[in-house]
Amino acid sequence: MKQWLAALWNSQLVDALLPVFATLAALLVGALMLLALGANPLVAYAALVEGAFGSLNAIADTLVRATPLLFVGVGICIASRGGVTNIGGEGQFVVGALCAVLVGLSFPDGPALLVVPAALLAGMVGGAIWGGIPGLLKAHFNVNEILSTVMMNQIAVQGMNFLLIGPLMDPVQLQRASRIPQTARISPAFDLPRLAPTRLHLGTLLAILMAVLVYILLWRTTLGYRIRAVGLNKEAARYAGINVPRYIALSLALSGALAGLAGAVQIYGVNFRMFTDGSATGFTGSAGFHGIVAALFGQLHPLGTIPAAFLFGGLLVGANKLQRAVQVPAALIVTLNGLVVVFVVSTELWRQKRARRRVIERPLERDETPLIPTPPAATGQEGAV
Amino acid sequence: MRKLAKWFSVLVMASMLMSACGGGGASGEKFRIAVVTPSAKNDLAFSQSIYESLLKVQEAQGGPEKLEFVISEGMFVVDDAGAAIRDYASQGYDLVIAHGSQYGSVLQEIAPDFPETSFAWGTTVDTFVDKGITNVFAYEARSEQGGYVNGVMAGALTKSNVIGVVGPIETGDAKLYVDGFVAGVKAQNPNAQVNVNWIGSFSDVALASEAAQTHVKAGADVMAGTAQMVVGAIGVAKENNVLWFGTQASQTSLAPEVVVANQIYDWSGVILEMIDLIGKGTLGGQSFAITLENKGLYIEFNPAYSLPPEVKQLAEATINAIVTGAINVAP
Repeated sequence: MKQWLAALWNSQLVDALLPVFATLAALLVGALMLLALGANPLVAYAALVEGAFGSLNAIADTLVRATPLLFVGVGICIASRGGVTNIGGEGQFVVGALCAVLVGLSFPDGPALLVVPAALLAGMVGGAIWGGIPGLLKAHFNVNEILSTVMMNQIAVQGMNFLLIGPLMDPVQLQRASRIPQTARISPAFDLPRLAPTRLHLGTLLAILMAVLVYILLWRTTLGYRIRAVGLNKEAARYAGINVPRYIALSLALSGALAGLAGAVQIYGVNFRMFTDGSATGFTGSAGFHGIVAALFGQLHPLGTIPAAFLFGGLLVGANKLQRAVQVPAALIVTLNGLVVVFVVSTELWRQKRARRRVIERPLERDETPLIPTPPAATGQEGAV
Repeated sequence: MRKLAKWFSVLVMASMLMSACGGGGASGEKFRIAVVTPSAKNDLAFSQSIYESLLKVQEAQGGPEKLEFVISEGMFVVDDAGAAIRDYASQGYDLVIAHGSQYGSVLQEIAPDFPETSFAWGTTVDTFVDKGITNVFAYEARSEQGGYVNGVMAGALTKSNVIGVVGPIETGDAKLYVDGFVAGVKAQNPNAQVNVNWIGSFSDVALASEAAQTHVKAGADVMAGTAQMVVGAIGVAKENNVLWFGTQASQTSLAPEVVVANQIYDWSGVILEMIDLIGKGTLGGQSFAITLENKGLYIEFNPAYSLPPEVKQLAEATINAIVTGAINVAP
């Protein structure tokens, strides 16, 4: 029995559930804060769960909120498996949305079956370019991609503000004194079809499809194999004849393409126009950053990212419901989300330690020498492992 | 593990205790308002203006027993704001206020789904009546009026003839205010140079403080600004003993020694009118503006700052001239 429990504790199932435990631990800390603020944590968390999963509309809201996280998160999986870090999701999201809205506004009378796929493709291309630039800089000049992708976010935001206050502004707003910086609405014919009588749209299915496709790409194709080889060990990959710079640039470009697609879907499925409050966040909902958390939640595996994104999306939607229900300051919601991120990222270190221990402590195969010499005193316990 | 269990049980007990104390029945005739704001309700600017106005309305209507209001602050993510608006509407609130010009497109999607609920959107003049939507009120601040008055005072007070302005993006009441301010300065003191810096953000306090530093280095001895990130600029004004003109809410508390005057937004009159209309069965379709004339806008002079009497007279004369129409500051 004890042995069976130990085996369960050491299994990868526990690894997969670690982020869930981490979330619960973060919520426990959050409960103390709620108490300190004079709010009832049980009422608050009941509101959170109800807001995220309590009704058909709530589930739809969660899925809609999770969709961009899933697109971005799946892209983060590609980048991370390729050994690069993409912090530029926000910028790629914005550029993708800009490209997509441009297509829709340029052909208002075009056939939806042609315009919408073209717009989504344009979003992917825009994101790929925005992610590919830091990729090329990294590949050929060894420019730190963490810095360059963050900087590209700023450029994208300023570009968006310039376009929305200037050439892309809704003609209706141009005549007003208030001049709200937003584009015209895309033709309603281009709206992505709704699934069920809620806000849920086709983009969510597309995101799941992309997650599956990226899984196939990374683990079932030569291209994916090479991306992962470069990510695991650049020197070994080069020795094996892989063009390392090409795959570094490619993994960032692919990662950007998915973030760009997220932006395009946000336009055609949710907002139907682009707007700005000066920052990226008002439009993106920080999907470019939350997507990273979703990917880490899903252990940087495209299929793991699917439930992870939905869980995290539910948390974001539910947390706002919590704020409405118990009227705590909005700062608490930001703190709560931050706590979850810190706890989840911390478990990643623990998971790595567990993985290492699993490799070292597993029963040896025939003719294999142990990675670390077994200390003589421990020999009696070997059977227990 | 045992410790954890202990903590958890303490938590559960505390929660139960609180739920036992809380609660209280709701009366049928209570008017219920929900408001969604992009920044914090104590931002000393846009969101604070609606929060304080609602407190005033609540008092005027006879306290929380007669009028209840809830607020979702910090809803800078438009999607989240949309979810909040929809949720409040489905909870049967009588009036749901979307306090941010960026909320227009989501409100346009939501309002038709709740024809029994009244919505208000600001700052804007669009009620979507032309789109067949009849349950949205619009409200705006003619902030150029107070901007003009502040500008006249700034033009009179500057000695270096350099004035710095920190704005977010060129839109809405921010654009109106800055346009009015610049016009006021020019009318009073044609030699003064007004440097306007649109920093591209409503929330970046550090960037606002950088912009203010630049103005001070360029020789500005008077500064003004609008939106919630100006707290960064006010800090710089205080350090360098540069005069400051506030808008939206009172910013005097941040730097009593340098704040000359604030233009205050008081939405209570507009909200009371909406409540009245809703009572009569009109749920939307009308557009409101707060102005110096209807006292929705007023200039609050900082009593701690010794404003020369002639400048104060000048300001009051300018207010009168705008109210009577002798000076037209409309864009």
